[in-house]
Amino acid sequence: MSDFRRSLPDWLPRALAVLVVLTLLAPVFGWAAGAVGYAEPLENAAEETGAVDSAQPVDIALLPDYSVAGLGSAAGTFVSAVVGTALTLVVALGIGRLLGSDPNAE
Amino acid sequence: MHIPDGYVDITIAVLFGALSVAILGVAARRVGREVPEHRAPLLGVVAAGIFAAQMLNWPIPGGTSAHFVGGAFAAILLGPHLGALCVATVVAIQALVFGDGGLIVLGANVFNMAIVEVYVGYGIYRLVAPYGEFRAVFAAGWLGITAGALTAGLQLGLSSAFEYQLLTTLSIMGVGHLVLGLIEGGITAVVYRYLAEARPDLRPTADREVSPS
Repeated sequence: MSDFRRSLPDWLPRALAVLVVLTLLAPVFGWAAGAVGYAEPLENAAEETGAVDSAQPVDIALLPDYSVAGLGSAAGTFVSAVVGTALTLVVALGIGRLLGSDPNAE
Repeated sequence: MHIPDGYVDITIAVLFGALSVAILGVAARRVGREVPEHRAPLLGVVAAGIFAAQMLNWPIPGGTSAHFVGGAFAAILLGPHLGALCVATVVAIQALVFGDGGLIVLGANVFNMAIVEVYVGYGIYRLVAPYGEFRAVFAAGWLGITAGALTAGLQLGLSSAFEYQLLTTLSIMGVGHLVLGLIEGGITAVVYRYLAEARPDLRPTADREVSPS
């Protein structure tokens, strides 16, 4: 397993600290976006053409709209940020290792 | 820029889904040839950082806003093929776990944010790089997101829910993100410059310059 340890870069702790800071910022930005009435161009285009009612939610989403059932908005956003960031880290790491260690890749 | 289900006609969704699968397939094969194993942690951290940064909606009072997408950022830091896989991972998790962007339309969202923004952003970076790296990274973030918004506008404007108002969707998406893209370009350039100065060995070209093995 020394290969694995050697492949862990020295910048990793600092990078993980940055990720933690970003997840802590998520509920703050979530609150601010709500306060200013955040709307993206996509939503503007949907309103302009009357498409808004056609939108369908994703039923299988465990944390719909970055919220957690039973938790308040800020706490739900924070938990979503932590879960999503950690999950993305693990999945992307896995993809990276799969691709990087594939000796048969052409 | 995450399109929900119901906005885009199924034929358009399937077409762009197939395109995305084909392009990501090629990207994965290219990556297998080019990327040394020690870049896997970088891929993980960049993907996680992009996920977290995308949750930070810019609170612009009273107006239209957006959030960082990071396609050009991933392309410049990881190379375009790994960058595309990186952003595709983020977009897939957003749809599957958080319902941010639809499932039927997932391929179209991947096309806009993980393919168009990534490859157009990277192309612009390479094109402008001789005139200064900082401005190249800025232009890549700025015009990359604008290009992704235009393909999103195209998909919407060719769909019945938007009453085939192609000019309306293209102009709202294109102009909106052309203006907001200045922020994307600024963030991309500032974060990249910090990383390039703090850790020059992480730059994509560094592997060729100083090969560790």
